[in-house]
Amino acid sequence: MNISDMLILAFANLFRTKLRTFLTVLGVVIGIGALSSMVSFGTGMEKNISDAFKKNDLFTSFTVTAKEIDLEQLSEGNIEDFGKILEKPTTPLTDSILKKIQGIPGVETAFPDILFPSKLKIDEYYETNTNVQAVPAKMGNYQPFNDLLAGEFFKDDSSNSVVIRWETLKRMNLFVQDEEKSVSLTREDSLRGAKIVHPDTLIGKSIQIISKSFKRSGRPVNPLTLVMSSAGDPFNETVTELTICGILKRSDPFTNIRFRGGIIIPTKTAGAIPKLGFSSIWELFDKKQKGTYNSFYIRVNKMENMNFVRKEIEEMEIHAYSVSDQLKEIKRGLIIIDSLLGAIGTVALIIAALGIINTMVMSILERTREIGIMKAIGGSEKEIKLIFFVEAGFIGVIGAIFGLILGWLVTRIANRIINAKLIPQDELPVDLFYFPLWLLLGATAFSILISLAAGLYPAIRAARIDPVKALRHD
Amino acid sequence: MLLKVYNLTKSYFKGKLEIPALREVSFELSEGDFISIVGKSGSGKSTLLNLIGGLDTATSGHIYFRNKDLWDMSRTDLAQHRKYSVGMIFQSFNLIASRNAVENITLALTFGGVPRKDRKQIAIGLLSQVGLEHRIYHKPSELSGGEAQRVAIARAMANNPSLILADEPTGNLDSITSNEIIGLLQQLNKEHGITVIMVTHDQENAKRISKKVIRLHDGRIVKDME
Ligand SMILES: Nc1ncnc2c1ncn2[C@@H]1O[C@H](COP(=O)(O)OP(=O)(O)O)[C@@H](O)[C@H]1O
Ligand SMILES: [Mg+2]
Repeated sequence: MNISDMLILAFANLFRTKLRTFLTVLGVVIGIGALSSMVSFGTGMEKNISDAFKKNDLFTSFTVTAKEIDLEQLSEGNIEDFGKILEKPTTPLTDSILKKIQGIPGVETAFPDILFPSKLKIDEYYETNTNVQAVPAKMGNYQPFNDLLAGEFFKDDSSNSVVIRWETLKRMNLFVQDEEKSVSLTREDSLRGAKIVHPDTLIGKSIQIISKSFKRSGRPVNPLTLVMSSAGDPFNETVTELTICGILKRSDPFTNIRFRGGIIIPTKTAGAIPKLGFSSIWELFDKKQKGTYNSFYIRVNKMENMNFVRKEIEEMEIHAYSVSDQLKEIKRGLIIIDSLLGAIGTVALIIAALGIINTMVMSILERTREIGIMKAIGGSEKEIKLIFFVEAGFIGVIGAIFGLILGWLVTRIANRIINAKLIPQDELPVDLFYFPLWLLLGATAFSILISLAAGLYPAIRAARIDPVKALRHD
Repeated sequence: MLLKVYNLTKSYFKGKLEIPALREVSFELSEGDFISIVGKSGSGKSTLLNLIGGLDTATSGHIYFRNKDLWDMSRTDLAQHRKYSVGMIFQSFNLIASRNAVENITLALTFGGVPRKDRKQIAIGLLSQVGLEHRIYHKPSELSGGEAQRVAIARAMANNPSLILADEPTGNLDSITSNEIIGLLQQLNKEHGITVIMVTHDQENAKRISKKVIRLHDGRIVKDME
């Protein structure tokens, strides 16, 4: 009796009691469905976060700041030393420091984070409160700046082209069509004067950047007078006319970190625009020296160079801050979530295993005579054991296949609902669940393993049946 | 010498209580013999057959089949013995209810290691040998007692055994059908040289058809009639 004979025999036996087999398999299907959908949520989370890191270029880039804020001490509630934490002496971020950083081998590009408030105007469409982010043209090669819905990133640091975000255009009542997720206008949107536009019609269009600057420059300002607005309007407004060369794709819930402004302009062009040296009025309270920057953005050419470059910079007594530091911790947290979800699924599967044991013990009791006959015509204990073992394994395989299909269907539906109800209309849909190959294979293996374990006792019991007793006619 | 039973004793135990089923039974059997075992109900006939068939193990004594002692055999060896050396037939037919005639036989062929492509053909051949070529797809419930017993005989023959152990094969049959079944066993014995041990209630028939009759009483052989 070879394995294919066993499989045929097992299948015939299971097929004979269709309803019971169906119910037993259903138990496994639900168990595997629960397990796989839950684990796929965990793996989906991990994948989304990893992808977000990639999309935001966080594995190859980091930010250095002038002041070190010791997050640990802060979180320990060490308020007394708060001042000390902030006033820890650090190197001010000046142009010469930037040059030094740019010279470190492995640094692809380094530039100061420049962000200033402005208004925007395209034809009669306005945005009254946004930030302009200055970025070197080189960054157009990298995520997320290369992810354009239309047009292209500016090619020159002094070009008068700009890249604008989808979300910014929407706030200006220009709803840009997007193949990835359709765009629609509500009644209110229409009443406000919003319209749907094809992305290509915006490329090459001129846009006005209306920036503010101080009327009397060079004179120290008391920030409080600005906050109170009692001293009249201390600002000049400058209109700079630029051209839209690209539209950035809207972001999904996991990718929003790198965009700090609503519109991206070349660095040298930004330098020529009169502006306030801060993006929020609160920054004025800082005792920032003139000619220094708040932070630098640094991109290395290879992920492997991150540590070296960071060490070099930290030796200059500059605080380097990388979000990827936290990835490890996030991942550790996700493993806990994963195992929790996995445990719930496993409980479902264990209940299914009890179902298998129950079904098989029942079936053995019913088939005692049959087992006796099989022994009488030459079936060995090993063969009988294997027949029942294969039956259990069969339940496991079928349960795994349909369980994975069920799990997949459930996650598809859940994903639809979550995307429809919870993800804001403006953001791209995300896939919250992920079925990697290891999950498919692992769940199948686990299902077979659990089923075989469940079949072990019944199989041994079947093999031990005394044929003399089983065949006694009464 | 095909079979030698020597001092065979078998007791069942109910807790500490010993129930002797066979006591020091000895006899011999040559290839091609047809012998009958008679005796009252409970005299140990089935026990003896089950021991020879390797379905059960003795308490003491020996069974030599072709000079090999069953006592020395592992459980796997005993399964081999049941598979290839003996074929068993029972009063209650013991066919698998869910399988039709031909499938009952192919199962035995499957255990016997016959390749799948040959099984059905061999099974149909066996069924026509017992005169059932017109009943091959009938389930046991759709067969008469005589037909069911013929299927059981065909199954017992599946892996070419040299010994057939028939435990009251006619016990559930009317006298005409009984004679047909006994005739079939005789035919197998004569035409194929298969040795037969048949347990029966019918003493007259037993004397008429068999070379030798063993009478059991309380687990002992009481008269050895040639
Ligand atoms: N499994 C068993 N447990 C206890 N006693 C048994 C068992 N099988 C048979 N016996 C006893 O052994 C004796 C012989 O039984 P058996 O061989 O079936 O007799 P027969 O076939 O001649 O009617 C009987 O007394 C019976 O009750
Ligand atoms: Mg009996």
